[in-house]
Amino acid sequence: MKQAWQNIRALWRNETLFRIAASYLGLLLLLILLLPWIPLPYGPNDLDLEHIYQPPFSLTYATKSHPMGTDRLGRDVLANVLYGARTAFFISIPVMALAALLGLTLGAGAGFFGDKGFSTSRRNLLLCLLSLLCLGYYWLYLPVQIASLNLGTPMALKSIMAGAVVVVLLFCFSSLLQKFIAPLRQRVAVPVDQLVMRLTEAVSTIPRFVLILVLASFLPPSVLLLSLIISLTAWTGIARLARAEMMRIKQLPYFEAARSIGLNSRELLWRQAFPNLLGPVLVAFTFSLGGLLALESTLSFLNIGVPPTLVSWGRTIASVRSNTAAWWLVVFPGALLTLTILALYTCSHYLSKVFSSKNRG
Amino acid sequence: MGGYLLRRFLLAIPALWALATVVFLLSRLLPGTYGSERILQSGTGYYSKGSETDRQAAYLSYVKRTGQDMPLFYLSAGPATHSPAETAVSYTKQTQEQLTKLSWRYGAQNAKAYIQSVAALKKQWQDSYHNAVPGNAVAVHLQTLQAADNTEPLVDAAEEIRAAAGHPRLRRAADNVLVRLQAMQPQGSLAFLLPAISWHGSQNQYHQWLVQLLHGNLGNSYKSSRPVLEVLVEAVGNTWWLLICSMVITFFLALELSVLMAQKKENRLRKVLLPLLFMLDSIPPFVLALLLLVLLANPNFIQLFPVFGMGYYMPQELGLWQELMQWAYFMALPLLSLVLFNLPYLTSQIHSAISAAMQSDFTRTARAKGLAESAVIRKHALRNSLLPIITIVSDFIPALVTGTLIVETVFAVPGVGRLLLDAVLSRDYPMLTGIVLIIAAFRIAAYLLADMAYAWADPRIRQRMT
Repeated sequence: MKQAWQNIRALWRNETLFRIAASYLGLLLLLILLLPWIPLPYGPNDLDLEHIYQPPFSLTYATKSHPMGTDRLGRDVLANVLYGARTAFFISIPVMALAALLGLTLGAGAGFFGDKGFSTSRRNLLLCLLSLLCLGYYWLYLPVQIASLNLGTPMALKSIMAGAVVVVLLFCFSSLLQKFIAPLRQRVAVPVDQLVMRLTEAVSTIPRFVLILVLASFLPPSVLLLSLIISLTAWTGIARLARAEMMRIKQLPYFEAARSIGLNSRELLWRQAFPNLLGPVLVAFTFSLGGLLALESTLSFLNIGVPPTLVSWGRTIASVRSNTAAWWLVVFPGALLTLTILALYTCSHYLSKVFSSKNRG
Repeated sequence: MGGYLLRRFLLAIPALWALATVVFLLSRLLPGTYGSERILQSGTGYYSKGSETDRQAAYLSYVKRTGQDMPLFYLSAGPATHSPAETAVSYTKQTQEQLTKLSWRYGAQNAKAYIQSVAALKKQWQDSYHNAVPGNAVAVHLQTLQAADNTEPLVDAAEEIRAAAGHPRLRRAADNVLVRLQAMQPQGSLAFLLPAISWHGSQNQYHQWLVQLLHGNLGNSYKSSRPVLEVLVEAVGNTWWLLICSMVITFFLALELSVLMAQKKENRLRKVLLPLLFMLDSIPPFVLALLLLVLLANPNFIQLFPVFGMGYYMPQELGLWQELMQWAYFMALPLLSLVLFNLPYLTSQIHSAISAAMQSDFTRTARAKGLAESAVIRKHALRNSLLPIITIVSDFIPALVTGTLIVETVFAVPGVGRLLLDAVLSRDYPMLTGIVLIIAAFRIAAYLLADMAYAWADPRIRQRMT
């Protein structure tokens, strides 16, 4: 960790472009965090219907504070661009964090255990499967049905309680059962690697964008659900990376030394492997964050999966379609979006240089 | 070679089937269909002019026509109190909902008997008071009887009706309702937690859909009622040429640029071009397309190209050449944005593949025996970097699909991308399933082609395949 931090500081000292990109990102993040306390003449959703499609820098309204013009409904472009940045980051960062966590767990697990490294008793396997089935029914299927039928929260709570009770009962029953039936105590290897790789392939059979569109069409428009969908489709890249890195780390002498002094799997994973995994994952994180920013604004541009009240760069850009002369609606949010993505890509580019050279040396 | 490809092809079929099944089941499992949104909404739309009963009838016939009244899958799991077989009768949507709710709470048979008794009561009331004013107290209570899902308000309403009933036959009907309500009481409130699995046989939506699919019928669009396949074929025709042309142009440009950059004397060009491409890569496709639109198809700036669409309608028959010219004129901007969008990634990948080949020993040998630089690059480096290039191009398909989708939306090209977007926005699930299948099949075909290209490019692979 210390080494990584020193590397990044060296990068900051030596590379002007990295410094520019990183400070731009830092300033933007600061601006986003402080935005609610910055006095703007208009809120992002305030309609000024008397001044629609107001061009920017126009003298008559320069004093009336639409410095970047207005859109189809007279919404102030400046406020929308700033708050759009807020939305974009507030959606993308948690989504990416969740996806990275998911990908890191699955990928590192797959790389570490391989197909034979993880074994458990048959009873545990059976218990897991049955519990998943029960929880799927009582915690997901029934509550969703109850919600869609408007049967009220008490019923949903009862169902969730029932799920917990059934799982506890299953646990007790299987503990009892394994005392009498010997085959249940036998240990079997779980092919973690195979499972994770097949899952990754399944998720990436159809292009990710199409997958998100299709999934979003099944659900009502909501930011939370959309974020969940994106996280659940975005982890594959990081999982592949983490798996490859993990397999490489497993061959390194220090890791074999750690293994030979008898550390258990948990310590090996947490203390020995993860610190070395973090560098490449950080590179992928910054890079994918840029992609996510683009994805978020594309989705809100297409008006898919997001409520129309969500302030976003995509929404502002979308209103150019009814008046192609309003160039400022594309140029300002588009420029900010492009700059941000460019900064993220630049950072990721330099970070990858650091981490790959460190790995080689 | 042929056997290998056949095996790959046969392996692709289960994958396609699984994908289609998942999309089908997911789309039908979740609530909110196209029909209920369009037909039953009382606000706006074509159906809003009709009365409530007309709308209900339209919805019922629509549900029946599209087969949505059948159970979803061979098996279904649900609360034991609510058995779908018992409640699968065509009622109006409101009654159906009440029946489902009541059967969840009090058991399917009780609920069904109750619904029937209320229907009888309503009929009695209409028969005996056929000239009654609608604002009548009994009418209000009847409304309650037809909507509430808890016994207490229902019993209250039924008793009110019984007290207000003048006609003995009406009173008898109300008594009947009360008896049914009494029967509903003893069921425990936890009974719905007990799951039951019911078997539906082949009379389910999935089976019907799969059989139709095997006959090459993807069903009818919910939105336009036209066969999905027919609509898809039209759209694919438009997308196909856009895709192929943009891909050929992009690939050619990327290859030429990479070859140019590989030459030693073009160092300066490389220093300018690579950052430029890096920047171009950061522009999201929809922003790029819109920028081109604003810049090049706008009377305020430069009006070079038409804004939207595929062409004008011409009364006289156009010659092949003229038609081609018109297509090119209208497709110029979409093509340009697709090329600009795809170029950075392809160029940088091909460039790094060629530079890797330029470092290798065989290139040094080629140089040493005195070949010209361009011959070294084209004859030796390029040929040897063909394998990674094929991988890059076949991995490139998802980005290509995404780009095409966005470009088609921005420039209103009636292709698959637009179709997908429309289907998503209007929840037209048969169409959605069809499009997903087409895209997945396209991807599988691309991988097969890549395999064939590997065999063509590398004799070693060809030998291993046979």
